[in-house]
Amino acid sequence: MPYWLILPVLATVGAILGYPLYWLFKLSFERYGLFELIQHKGVGVGWANFGSVIHDPVFWHTLARTVIFTAANVGLTMVLGTLIALLLVQVSSVIRVLLTTGLVLVWAMPPVVAVQVWLWMTNFENGVVNYILTKLHVGDYMQHDWYASTFSMLALVTALIVWGAIPFVVVTVYAGLSQVPGELVEAAEIDGARPWRVFKDVTVPILKPIFLILTSLSIIWDFGVFTQPFLLIGQSRIDTSNYVMGTYLYEQGYFFHDFGRGAAISILMLLMVALLSVFYVRKMVRFDEVR
Amino acid sequence: MKARYVASFVLVAALVVVSTAAARTDSPTRASASKITVWLQVDAQTGWPDLVSSTNAAFQKAHPGTTVDVQYQTWPDHLGKFDATLAGGNVPDVIEMGNTEMTKYMAAGAFANLSPDKSSFANSRSWLAGLAASATFNGKLYGVPYYAGSRVVTYRTDLYKKVGAKSPKSLAQFTSIAKKLRAKNGKKSFSPVYIAGTDWYFAMSFVYDYGGSIATFGRGKWHGALTSSKARAGLAAYKRFFDAASHASRTGTEDRPQPYDVYAQGQAASIVGPAWFSCCVGKKYKTVTSQFVMPGHKAGQSMPGFLGGSDLAVPNGSNDKALAKDWIRIFTSTDGEKVLQAKGNIPNATNLLGNSVNERAAKRSWFVPTAKNWVNVENGNVLRTMLARILTGKDSIKEATSAASDNITLTLNRP
Repeated sequence: MPYWLILPVLATVGAILGYPLYWLFKLSFERYGLFELIQHKGVGVGWANFGSVIHDPVFWHTLARTVIFTAANVGLTMVLGTLIALLLVQVSSVIRVLLTTGLVLVWAMPPVVAVQVWLWMTNFENGVVNYILTKLHVGDYMQHDWYASTFSMLALVTALIVWGAIPFVVVTVYAGLSQVPGELVEAAEIDGARPWRVFKDVTVPILKPIFLILTSLSIIWDFGVFTQPFLLIGQSRIDTSNYVMGTYLYEQGYFFHDFGRGAAISILMLLMVALLSVFYVRKMVRFDEVR
Repeated sequence: MKARYVASFVLVAALVVVSTAAARTDSPTRASASKITVWLQVDAQTGWPDLVSSTNAAFQKAHPGTTVDVQYQTWPDHLGKFDATLAGGNVPDVIEMGNTEMTKYMAAGAFANLSPDKSSFANSRSWLAGLAASATFNGKLYGVPYYAGSRVVTYRTDLYKKVGAKSPKSLAQFTSIAKKLRAKNGKKSFSPVYIAGTDWYFAMSFVYDYGGSIATFGRGKWHGALTSSKARAGLAAYKRFFDAASHASRTGTEDRPQPYDVYAQGQAASIVGPAWFSCCVGKKYKTVTSQFVMPGHKAGQSMPGFLGGSDLAVPNGSNDKALAKDWIRIFTSTDGEKVLQAKGNIPNATNLLGNSVNERAAKRSWFVPTAKNWVNVENGNVLRTMLARILTGKDSIKEATSAASDNITLTLNRP
């Protein structure tokens, strides 16, 4: 009986995920370029697509860059998000409402719109960021080119992603903080614990499952992120020196009309994310067992 | 328990409804043969909608009961959309293609062979050689030249007058005018000649002016040619000219911001780009704006400019190739081309050429290598990356050209 009830879920997942995945796997073992697209028929090439990706130094450079990029994004998102959540607990209710409203507005802004705002603020000719930095005497930032180096370019993307991801972390951690029993904190304080100690030994252990979920989800999102890097860097600036996995996959698959190779890259990405997810699910199950 | 049954039943039902609804919208809605779909770029919508509607009217007179569905596309995403229709099987009957985009699609067999019909298109014997070549692959014709456009310098006559300058006759003269303009206008963001750093159409003109080229074909293989001493001399000249004349971003592109916007804001004394840039220089400067042909390094000789243009092709999947060809015939007739010429474009045939600045600039021109993978060099931003690295000083010209040239050789020879 209970198995019957998961049937709709299985059917939905099968239709929405299983079917495209089947085609993706099929595609990754075929030579499928523009010619094959027009013929509607790929040519089986075995593992050649995977071989060419794995022997491509660009793939490994991109992977390393993406890992560092993801670590920076997730780290900043988690730390800043948690700090703001802790702040929310301390401030008066008026400020809290104001802050929360601001966060929800950030959350509500579609990434494409956010990218346009970012582009405008960092514009070479008359960007407001350049203007403010110059007025604040940080240095002469008039006509500063934020897109001149890979680091500066990806740092902009990171700023945009972290800015957009913080609200979710804040709201979730804030909800978690209300679960920390007041008497535990009080007891710790009576025993002479300083705020940092209370946070480290009382709050964090209780919030650990939440942190774990948030970190895992952020890793999955940021590892495969596409919209922000693609639009902010812009198609005419994207090249092998600033690829992240999302843009690499898109350029190889669609722009170079090598759909089979693109499929192989996306399967490799899927495997990496799947491995992370297994780790995360196992941890979660363990937590449940401990409880 | 019963409620759960009901709930799961409703869910399954909803799922079925959703999936059938999706299937219904997905199925290609190809109408009966009495309708053709034409994909033109938005340039036609903003520039010459009257030509499109008069063509449609004439076409419908010849084929009563047939409707024409003109769908306007934009340059950055029309190929992606076209790919989707190639996969889905509902291709347009006529498609406008940029001349640098043609080769890859011709090689892949996307378009119908028009060679047997060539003589039925107006002026086909005197088509502009560059455009006709862009629509030819392995000796067969796959597209009809639509129109071309060359790149010129659009400038402020009032500012030039202030430094006592007229249209320059050599690159050296132009450089010294730029320096004078620079001295007169101290504002940091002001450019005597606004050039986006990675505007490769403009930068490669220097390469061709000095006798170099991007790639050459020999012994059955493509060879990247930017490492030649002539090409390197051209790039060195480009860097010198940029340093003297432009205060634009050294890594920026020529479409973000649009050069004419910079000009309209009074931030530039001149801009380089297509001749139609004169459309959008702003009300304030409309009366003090003129154009000249970019001079080359040899006095009295113009710099070869990139000859951009469009072709019209009939995709192989079209259900009505005869109707599609007929529509193209009317659209590219002598009368049609004259309308295009009146709007500031270069008509598709030499016997129609006039003496506008645009047409004079087209006399010395260059075109990208006609390799099927050329578009991958373009989309991979190989030349843009090279220019950004040269202008920012990250790489020497020698290092940057070596890397780019190797990359071009590799990309063009890929199967």
